[in-house]
Amino acid sequence: MNNLFVLTYLIYLPIVVGLTLYVARTLFRNGRVFMLEIFKGKADIADATNRLFEVGFYLINIGFALRIMEVGGYWTNDPFDTTQEMVEVLAGKIGGFAIYLGAMLFLNLFLFFRGRRKARQNGVNPIPVVAQPMH
Amino acid sequence: MNLNLLAYLLFFPAMLALAVGVAQTCHRHGRPWMLGLFDGDAAFVDAVNNILLVCCYTINLGYIALVMGDWERVTSIEHLIGTLAQRMSVIVFALAALHYQNIAVLLIWSRIKQRRTLKNTQP
Repeated sequence: MNNLFVLTYLIYLPIVVGLTLYVARTLFRNGRVFMLEIFKGKADIADATNRLFEVGFYLINIGFALRIMEVGGYWTNDPFDTTQEMVEVLAGKIGGFAIYLGAMLFLNLFLFFRGRRKARQNGVNPIPVVAQPMH
Repeated sequence: MNLNLLAYLLFFPAMLALAVGVAQTCHRHGRPWMLGLFDGDAAFVDAVNNILLVCCYTINLGYIALVMGDWERVTSIEHLIGTLAQRMSVIVFALAALHYQNIAVLLIWSRIKQRRTLKNTQP
């Protein structure tokens, strides 16, 4: 039984991490267009912000994936000992995580659109000038 | 082999292929509509379109995996076929509903935009 739990984790982790990486890469590769528009074409600031948000996205989602990983513990169903039950538990966990990830994607897309609208409303550049480091 | 496992093995790849096919159709044929909505800004439209494609993948595949959890115990081949058909019909109907909802959003949005441009151009 314990071996099945370990096997479940070994299947769960690569799938979840791979899914997060794929989704985040796609989101932020395409999010660059929004960032450029929000920051009025300043490519360095846009890329930096994009990268920062990407790392935040990884942290939140992989953190959530780890939080729901435990099987047969406080969070979930009874202990299981057949392959069929393992597949069902894995499907439930990965499916739930994927839907959560889709909701996060929509949230991010909404924030991108909101930023773009705000940037268009404020005709002037709303970003304060970043102080140059002194040499 | 456990018949439930066999059912999952048949169900998941078939629904995976269906969901991916529907999503790609939306992605390909939604693009001209979105170009109309965003004034022909191709770079922007492609970015939004790609993000929406990934959204579509994750949510549909997540739902497909989620409903794979609690099937009743399958005991015979005819039972297997019946259960499989019922479960697949749920997914296919859900995909159809999403598809029509997509079309409706595009139509309504472009109608609103058309009306607004008409109002702006009239004196």
